[in-house]
Amino acid sequence: MRADKFASLQRKSIIYFIIVGSFAVLGFRLFQMQIVEHTDYSEKAASNSIKAIEETPLRGVFYDRNMKVVVDNIPAYTLRIVPADYDTTLNKIIEAEIGEKTGYINKILKENRIYSKFIPVRIKRGINFKVVSWLEENSDHLPGVDYVVEMQRGYPAGIRGSHMFGYTKEITPKLLEKYKDYYKPGDYIGYSGLEKAYEKILRGEKGYDYVRVDSRRREIGKYKNGAADIPSVKGNDLILTIDSDVQRAAEEALKGRRGAAVAMDPKTGEILALASAPDYDLSEFSYVTSKEYLQKLYNDPEKPFFNRATMAANPPGSTFKIMEAVAALNSGVITTATTFTCRGGQEFYGRYFKCDAVHGTLNIVHAIEHSCNVFFYNLIYKIGMDRWDEYASKFGFGHDTHIDIGDEVSGFIPTPGYYVKRYGPNWPKSIMASLGIGQGEVSVTPIQLAKYVSLIANDGVTYTPHLVRGYLTNNTRKLVPFSYKKIDLGIDSSIFNIVKEGMFLVVNGSGTATNIRSKDILIAGKTGTAQNPHGKNHALFIGFAPFKDPKIAVAVFIENVGFGATYAAPVAKKMIDAYLEKDKNKNEEKKPIPDLNTKIIGATIAN
Amino acid sequence: MRIDYKLNDKFDMGLVIPTLLLFFIGLAAIYSSTLNNPHASGNFHKQLVWGIGAFIIFFITYSIPTNTFKTLAVPSYLISILMLIVVLVIGKRISGAKSWLGLEGLGFQPSEFAKLGTLLALASFLSRKNTDIETFKDILFALGIGLIPIALIMLEPDLGTSFVFIGLILALLFWKGISLFGLFVVLSPGAVAVASLFGTYYLLGALLIVLLCLIIFKKDLFFSASIFALNLGAGFFTNYVYIALSPHQQTRIRSFINPSADPLGAGYNAIQAKVAIGSGGFWGKGFLAGSQTQLQFIPEQWTDFIYCVIGEEFGFIGTIITLILFLYLFMRILKLANSAKDEFLSLTLVGILTIYFIHLFINIGMVVGIMPVIGIPLPFVSYGGSSLLANILMLGVAANIYRTRKEYT
Repeated sequence: MRADKFASLQRKSIIYFIIVGSFAVLGFRLFQMQIVEHTDYSEKAASNSIKAIEETPLRGVFYDRNMKVVVDNIPAYTLRIVPADYDTTLNKIIEAEIGEKTGYINKILKENRIYSKFIPVRIKRGINFKVVSWLEENSDHLPGVDYVVEMQRGYPAGIRGSHMFGYTKEITPKLLEKYKDYYKPGDYIGYSGLEKAYEKILRGEKGYDYVRVDSRRREIGKYKNGAADIPSVKGNDLILTIDSDVQRAAEEALKGRRGAAVAMDPKTGEILALASAPDYDLSEFSYVTSKEYLQKLYNDPEKPFFNRATMAANPPGSTFKIMEAVAALNSGVITTATTFTCRGGQEFYGRYFKCDAVHGTLNIVHAIEHSCNVFFYNLIYKIGMDRWDEYASKFGFGHDTHIDIGDEVSGFIPTPGYYVKRYGPNWPKSIMASLGIGQGEVSVTPIQLAKYVSLIANDGVTYTPHLVRGYLTNNTRKLVPFSYKKIDLGIDSSIFNIVKEGMFLVVNGSGTATNIRSKDILIAGKTGTAQNPHGKNHALFIGFAPFKDPKIAVAVFIENVGFGATYAAPVAKKMIDAYLEKDKNKNEEKKPIPDLNTKIIGATIAN
Repeated sequence: MRIDYKLNDKFDMGLVIPTLLLFFIGLAAIYSSTLNNPHASGNFHKQLVWGIGAFIIFFITYSIPTNTFKTLAVPSYLISILMLIVVLVIGKRISGAKSWLGLEGLGFQPSEFAKLGTLLALASFLSRKNTDIETFKDILFALGIGLIPIALIMLEPDLGTSFVFIGLILALLFWKGISLFGLFVVLSPGAVAVASLFGTYYLLGALLIVLLCLIIFKKDLFFSASIFALNLGAGFFTNYVYIALSPHQQTRIRSFINPSADPLGAGYNAIQAKVAIGSGGFWGKGFLAGSQTQLQFIPEQWTDFIYCVIGEEFGFIGTIITLILFLYLFMRILKLANSAKDEFLSLTLVGILTIYFIHLFINIGMVVGIMPVIGIPLPFVSYGGSSLLANILMLGVAANIYRTRKEYT
């Protein structure tokens, strides 16, 4: 009897009616809300809307080591359209006003169609004041059209720093996908150089203003009188290690050349200047980058985008001899008493290798002074390949320097294994002679050379080369310093004193770079001239000054010009002068940090 | 043609196609509602991945031997209870309720899976040969099976899911064939409990009706008295539970009983949800063009308030099509339940139907303002992995029963 009740037709019908009845209730309720009371709800939706207006934070500015502003913010106007409120019949009028071709607006709106219709689309950046006042006057007839003040980057110190500072640009869809937790379409993001490396510190935090809007989505007042607004927070200011005078000297000296120059404080690893030529004008990038300008840069055979300071790997030429001297002296292979005799050349393993002159018998100090090739041909065979590799690696060659702007190459230091792979187990040992004078397969970057000469100048101790000291906190304006890794080769200073003596004579004796000798500042250095298959030799120079207490170490590399002494050494001298002359004049006490709340846009908001 | 026939014979398109369509409607709504929300913009892709996982789970469940479900009934119930205890001890608290287990960065809600475990255990118990649903002992035992998970879920506390379990117990008892009086015994404490929330007068009124019914049923005095005592207990116990509830759930219940009391607080979501749906009109405002949705008036819209997105952007057409798809699916399951001769399978199907139905009714009822704001997802449509997988698992069970229905007739 009871079994009959299980799943009875009657019970099925009850369930059936409960379900159908419930659906009928829901359906009726939907009908009531969406059709009968639709207009009421529509009005409510329209009238109680609160719109959040995003407030782009000011980007942190860059100071150089003397608290001189080198990168700041300049206001500029951007025309925007909110597609949901916009009437496309206005296209023509607006296009005429902003001086764009027909179809310009449609194209941009189309590209942004995937985003919400309520997000304003940036139509044109950097519109002039005439357009702004036209927008103001006609705002009633231009629904969905507005403008905002946005900041563009300015470069007030008269230095370019193209590869170092880098630029910001509108975020690409690919990056947006990666960092969508913070960025929205149209946001700017650091795209290269320091702007990219320190994006998170520089960008600040977005703010939001809440406003009430009416059915046509026009603002009718602040929401809760602005009590709910979240103000934007300005990005932190970076304190760079560069000295804008040295940087300017480097850029001017490299003008018209292809090459790079890097100056460092050997004691701290701070980069005083980092220039790569040819460069480009960053202010062209800060807002409306014209297509023609970009095209010109991309097509330029001299590759201005290429940061030669960290990316160009070339043979170091004779500048490498210092490394070999240190290797030989430190491992006890030679002493200052060891001599070789130069007869203008010598045969090694069946090949004859030339020297620039007949130098006669000389020891290591004079071999450096005269850059005698014969001496160093002999030396590398004495040191041996393994030790040569070990010391090159010790000085950082073949490795990234880990400079904070990222993009760099590590160069190449050939090993016996490499030659075995290339020529077989009986590889011609004559190759070593070329390596002994920094020619052949060996390649290094200018930034590596700068680190190398810093290590020499400071007796084997320095820090990872870097461009940023730290950042200033927004509220307290205190410097939050970054720390960098100490590099210590563990080689006794007596070894360095020997090679430094040779480098001193290069400039101040009868060496290869006497052309940059000066009475006030004693410079020590080493020239290099690297052969290459693509035309004239590359010119190199490494040096430091003052000789007794090195404050600046410089590496200069110039492509296809000729002798290092003639072309590279004078660039280094100009940079050294720019740094040390000022040092002399500046003997008064350290300047306090200037009042930052004046003049500089970006600093004013902070307090 | 013959192949077609054979496929239809083993595989019920009537179950799968509406579910797939509902899932796609859900995906569109999730995309729209998370587009401008930086914290949830990955949800669309996550749901897609869950969808693929659900697809696999469906086919596994569909293919296994049908008697597995009965074999697994008790173990799955015990595991469910264990998980519910574990979540109380080490669970993550998300918006007021401790209902999540973290598994390698993935959230997991044991209560979603406990639904199926409890359902199978109840169906298994009720379909035993010697179970007599008219005896007090067996009714109590059946209630016990259901009340243990309810008690654990109440402790999280998750009110909405508890309702699902209550409905599940009632539906299974009903389908098993409980008598009117039996149903009265089971139901009346619940009714008294709800009445007690409205205040003392309602409680007294409800107790009076219970008394009246007992007189009409004319059972013996001792039996009647104990049932009355049970009702009395339920009324006071509810008050006790209400006090023990989390503040956000208390305000939700209060705001349902008296919505105008706190229009900007707990009632805010309900009002904004109605505005979203109502302003959608007949055709809707268009995909990605709903101001309520795109301006994010309703927090976490992609989970429990997903139906508002459909209502606002796809209008009456969208909401009704969604309803029709659900209705079709439910009728299909009901028909299958009615034709299945095996008691266990038939009860299981009714249980699945009940779980779906209560979710749907509470969820949509909530956004159209005829139910309180109780957090409960819309099956197949709302964002959420646990919910989607659990629901698809149950669909797989239903499809499996369809596949072998002839072997059990």
